[in-house]
Amino acid sequence: MDRIDEVLRDYFDPSQAPPELAAALARRRAAAPRLDPEATVARLHIEASERGVRRVSLQGRRGGLAGDRRLAERARRELVEYLGGQRTFFSVPVDLTGTPEFQGRVLAAARHIPYGEIRSYATLAQTVGHPRAARAVGNALGANPVPIIVPCHRIIRGDGTWGHYAFGPGMKTALLTLERRTPTLVGSSSTGIVCRHGCAHEQRIGESRRIVFASIADAKSVGYRPCRVCRPGR
Amino acid sequence: MNESTFTRVAQEYAARLYVVAYRLLGHRADAEDAVQRALLKCFAARHAYSPQWAISTWLYRVLTNVCIDELRRRRSAAAASRASSEIAPRHARPGTVGERVDVERALAQVPREARMLLALHYVDGLSFVELARVRGISVNTVKSQLARGKAIMRKTLEQGGRRSRRPRTR
Repeated sequence: MDRIDEVLRDYFDPSQAPPELAAALARRRAAAPRLDPEATVARLHIEASERGVRRVSLQGRRGGLAGDRRLAERARRELVEYLGGQRTFFSVPVDLTGTPEFQGRVLAAARHIPYGEIRSYATLAQTVGHPRAARAVGNALGANPVPIIVPCHRIIRGDGTWGHYAFGPGMKTALLTLERRTPTLVGSSSTGIVCRHGCAHEQRIGESRRIVFASIADAKSVGYRPCRVCRPGR
Repeated sequence: MNESTFTRVAQEYAARLYVVAYRLLGHRADAEDAVQRALLKCFAARHAYSPQWAISTWLYRVLTNVCIDELRRRRSAAAASRASSEIAPRHARPGTVGERVDVERALAQVPREARMLLALHYVDGLSFVELARVRGISVNTVKSQLARGKAIMRKTLEQGGRRSRRPRTR
């Protein structure tokens, strides 16, 4: 054993972890908000046109479906799957006709934020080409007609606090917690193959071609096949 | 999976997982968060756990993936403006001895994969075979990466902590 071994052993000594770390982690887990997918979606009012979902809102205690039943029902099913950690994206179309042009751009940019990630209002303002319009971006997101499906909950304040959310800060915390704890799979949009996180092939997928999935069924539903090396889904 | 099982696994592995995460991410809160996420992901995916793996191998594998995600997220969100040279001094703990800062700086020069293997090897004394399983690479790659990492560290430390010119890989 040479000196470098001693230096490294000392540097990586596990005794430097904070005391009571395990208890703190268990407390944090117990305190984490949980969502009941069916009960939550049952409270949502989902309205769809023949082009896509027009509105998702929380009205009173009982929700319901309105407009195009087929699309509204599809949105309801996808919302249940999403809240249950079985889905990381929505394939149901969204109908944003009638929204102002700036808001439309902000919502389109918000839809591109990947599952499990967050951005600040200022970053999103830069993305839409108005770096000084963070507040306007906040207003545009505040008027988001289809929360959750257009993931405005993935945008938080630059200082790390949540900011306003249409369904309340508790719901925002629950959604962000859900996205952070859901194990994800990564697919390559060029090969159509989905891998477990950590597979050698997954690590070679370029940033621009990475698609994140919550489950293998999720990936198969859009035509991806499981990787033969890491064999997700087994 | 109940609370008591979670607490038991957390108690047994949290300190070691934390040190790996802390030394890779360089930030205490991020390290705690990474350990929490790794444990939660393991529980959420417990049906996929295969008994042919040691539970520690599985935990380390998930943890390293969480850390890679975090590093990748930082790289993409961050900010091209944040030069890598700032990382070591910025995260150096106040009041630590100079040697520790030197080690931190030297480790920052080591490519990510080798850094991860060094952390796993020295925190928990994982063997080459276990390291190969954790990272999903061959045993020979583990050996060469560890040797490479140590060679870079030795060279950097001998140079008195001056940064070498080799670019950092992801």
